[in-house]
Amino acid sequence: MKKYERFGLPIFIIMMAILPHMLNDRWQAVAITFLIFAVVALSQDIILGKCGMFNMGQALFFGMGAYTTAILNNEYGWSVVATIPLAIIIPALFGIILAGPIVHLRGDYLLVVTIGFNIVFVQVLQNNLGGITGGPNGIFGLDSLSLMGYDLMSQISVYYFAFLVLLLTLWVMHNLANSKPGRALHYLREDQLAAESIGINTRIYKIFAFALGAGIAGLAGTVFAVQYSAVSPEAFEFIQSVLFFSIVLVGGSSIPGILLGVFVMFVVPEIFREFATWRYFIFGFAMILAMILRPRGIWPATFGKIPKFLIKDSNHGA
Amino acid sequence: MDIFLQQLANGLTIGSMFALVALGYTMVYGVMKLINFAHGDMVAASAFVGLTIYTQVMGQATSLAAVIIIFLLSALVMACVGVILERVAYRPLREAPRLSAVVSALGASLVIQNGIMLIWGPRMRIFPELVPQVYWDLGGVVISLIQVIILALSLILMVALYLFVEKTRMGAAIRASSIDQDAARLMGINVNSVIALIFIIGSSLGAVGGLFIGLYYRGITFNMGWQYGLYAFIAAILGGIGNIPGAMLGGMLLGLFNAFIAGYVSSTWADAFTFILLILILIVRPTGILGERVAEKV
Repeated sequence: MKKYERFGLPIFIIMMAILPHMLNDRWQAVAITFLIFAVVALSQDIILGKCGMFNMGQALFFGMGAYTTAILNNEYGWSVVATIPLAIIIPALFGIILAGPIVHLRGDYLLVVTIGFNIVFVQVLQNNLGGITGGPNGIFGLDSLSLMGYDLMSQISVYYFAFLVLLLTLWVMHNLANSKPGRALHYLREDQLAAESIGINTRIYKIFAFALGAGIAGLAGTVFAVQYSAVSPEAFEFIQSVLFFSIVLVGGSSIPGILLGVFVMFVVPEIFREFATWRYFIFGFAMILAMILRPRGIWPATFGKIPKFLIKDSNHGA
Repeated sequence: MDIFLQQLANGLTIGSMFALVALGYTMVYGVMKLINFAHGDMVAASAFVGLTIYTQVMGQATSLAAVIIIFLLSALVMACVGVILERVAYRPLREAPRLSAVVSALGASLVIQNGIMLIWGPRMRIFPELVPQVYWDLGGVVISLIQVIILALSLILMVALYLFVEKTRMGAAIRASSIDQDAARLMGINVNSVIALIFIIGSSLGAVGGLFIGLYYRGITFNMGWQYGLYAFIAAILGGIGNIPGAMLGGMLLGLFNAFIAGYVSSTWADAFTFILLILILIVRPTGILGERVAEKV
């Protein structure tokens, strides 16, 4: 893990920084999708992997950010950049409101309730509640990205926008791993009762994890809306949440594991397009196999600065 | 009043299908503490298997004997699939972290769902008319023969299952395993065969449910399993997950709830209302209607 932080991560960042100049249009679009879904998967990891809450509704927060940007831009004429704060705050607030009454639920119940939130959300979008979500077709024709008079409509600038968001997310994750809230979440996941008895307010920290994960997913939603200059309900169906959920767990809730998972789930199918119909069939088998061979994930996370002699098994985490 | 009685009849029909499927979820959860996400897709697969048996094996015969054979064969096929599923995807993960088994179940669900798509194609298929279209008009309330059969057969199966679980030695083994697997093993119960038995029963009941869905709604698609599965799972939670009579009650209540929402409010909001009901129930009474209060904090 240390090796990865010192060498792997900088190499990955440098590679991603120069990547778009080596790709044609189609692959640039794929690379943007990779960046966006990597951010959503990492935000899901905060809730599911770091805090250990079975959240299967991450597409809801992702979609909420995308729709916030789309509605403010399309209906109220805000510039895309100006919608960013609200695209973070609104999902985060919803994260707090929705998580508040349910964080005490036991694992599987939480899973079903978050699926429920996701399905209710999509149904609200499809039924065009309040006449602003555009119904089943969604909203299209968003403005392109512009900042201080410069029109950043080329695909490369969208790429760097997405890249910036990913860097921001990685920075948040890094700080989370080395800070009090991050340690609190870790103890909470390992043993809630023990965490409570050493004075961690588990309820507050669980809601905090939801708010943070929701805010980051919302920001990714903005990038998504910018990339397609459109949003529609089916992009945020709960099957997407299932994918993010699986990516985090198959990846082992570590940053390289999750990035690998996103790559396999969203980039590899673009390479093997002729097998498109076999995609989920193969993924299904891969998920079963990965879990049987490596129940803690392909690249299990290790946590922060716990001395080695305190860790009983080397497979610590997940 | 007419709407009320009509939706009551529809609700009981849908509810008995939910209940049949919910039994599969609740029995597996009771013993293994695992949400068998693949169960819904098994239900969908059963409708397609029934379709194929009807066209390929039975030569499109719709006599009573042929229909019975279609039901038995479909249940048999799905029971085999269920046992294989448990062997391949769940047994290796019994000692693993809980979430690993959940991911494995999701993977199995994707495999079955997309397996259906690869075999039978992505388009909607029309389920054969195995039961003649007979309707009775009871003073403004229309009831079809299919509805009567679905309700009656479901009730028979549920009562049979209840008696099996409560009155037989094997039923006692199932109940013991769901209370404490280790203690059950110490008492000489072969938990592995209990789990296999549960998958056989749950999958066959789900298979019957899938055929009912085909008979009642006619159009079957490869991805319908998630929807019915989710509803059935909610029904199981509603009644108290792990509790067999609870799943039956929860299924019926959810079917009625859905029918009345569709009848009085709007069917486009049915999903949303169902989940709002679920969320409220979990906040107020997380163990469901018939679930026992457990000491563990939920």
